Amino acid sequence: MRQSNIGWLFLAPATLILFVVGFVPFIYILYVGFFDWNTNAIDPTLRWAGLQNYRSLVFDTTFLNSLARTLGFAFFVVVSELLSGYVLARALMADRLWGRQFFRTIHTLPIVVAPIAVGATWRLLCVPGFGIVPYYVKLWFGIDYNISTNAYHAFATAIIMDLWHWTPFVTLSLMAGLTALPKEPLEQAQIDGGNKLQIFWYVIVPMLKPVLLTTVFIRLMDALRSVDEIWMLTKGGPAEATRFIGLHIWINVFPKTDYGYGAAMSLLTLYVTIVLSWLLFVAMTGRKGGAQ
Amino acid sequence: MMAGIQPQKTERDGFLPIRTNGFDRGFISVVILILVHLLWMRFLEGVLPLWVATVLCLALAVFTIRKG
Repeated sequence: MRQSNIGWLFLAPATLILFVVGFVPFIYILYVGFFDWNTNAIDPTLRWAGLQNYRSLVFDTTFLNSLARTLGFAFFVVVSELLSGYVLARALMADRLWGRQFFRTIHTLPIVVAPIAVGATWRLLCVPGFGIVPYYVKLWFGIDYNISTNAYHAFATAIIMDLWHWTPFVTLSLMAGLTALPKEPLEQAQIDGGNKLQIFWYVIVPMLKPVLLTTVFIRLMDALRSVDEIWMLTKGGPAEATRFIGLHIWINVFPKTDYGYGAAMSLLTLYVTIVLSWLLFVAMTGRKGGAQ
Repeated sequence: MMAGIQPQKTERDGFLPIRTNGFDRGFISVVILILVHLLWMRFLEGVLPLWVATVLCLALAVFTIRKG
């Protein structure tokens, strides 16, 4: 048997699983997206709608606002987690830090908590008259903190909750990347007279690029599909202040059983996610061509 | 003999601002096709039918795949 055939044989089980759990549902969603299908409607069967779901989608301000809100949330979350994750990684790698191993252990604890439990915990922390967050915000800043009535408070809390939950993951990834960096280029840069900022920007960041890219991809895709935490925290409210795209799709697909429209929304969200990830990949790998 | 098992370099410079292989150019064409159709449905479909966008995008896709 030729060597390439053996390679394909080894790849076959994984390819088959990916095909069944990835490609087949995608094709099914693509198919359903062209139909009007609501099991609670007078006619619950699939009716051909062509591009009507997509036509409705581009005029649906609730969906477009939800998409824009999700992109804003993802941007804030990914940038904040990357910055705080890097600072924490450097701090937890410092030799001078007393109890380093202890802090390393406890700072990873939020990762193991299920998102739905995180949402429920933060909900309890934020209940006015009961949770400690409104109490201390009022005591220190004089602000009547209420995520049930104030859109800004709810959005900010969603960001802070995600930061609390996922910054340790970024810290761990960056710690692994920083530990694996070779020492020689850093020493050479120091001998050449580079200051700390120059060494960070021109030596550490380029060498960390693969780790940064992977971390940003994972966090970006996670942030774009936040549902359970947000549902437990605010149920998408107040009004639609925290109705991110995953939650919006869920509301349309499950309580409203509008499967055709939900499929179209899912596909458009997938499109945005793929395009964003690809743009990020191209920007971070710096594949500049002759036309640049 | 060795040349036969070395991967071929398929990336090239075209009018696009990045070095691309065949998959990249196909991917860019599909992304543009979907984007143009969505924007067309939102802003232009009342004036021009959607098949105009399809024809334009397919022509652009052929051009991108060949010269991109």
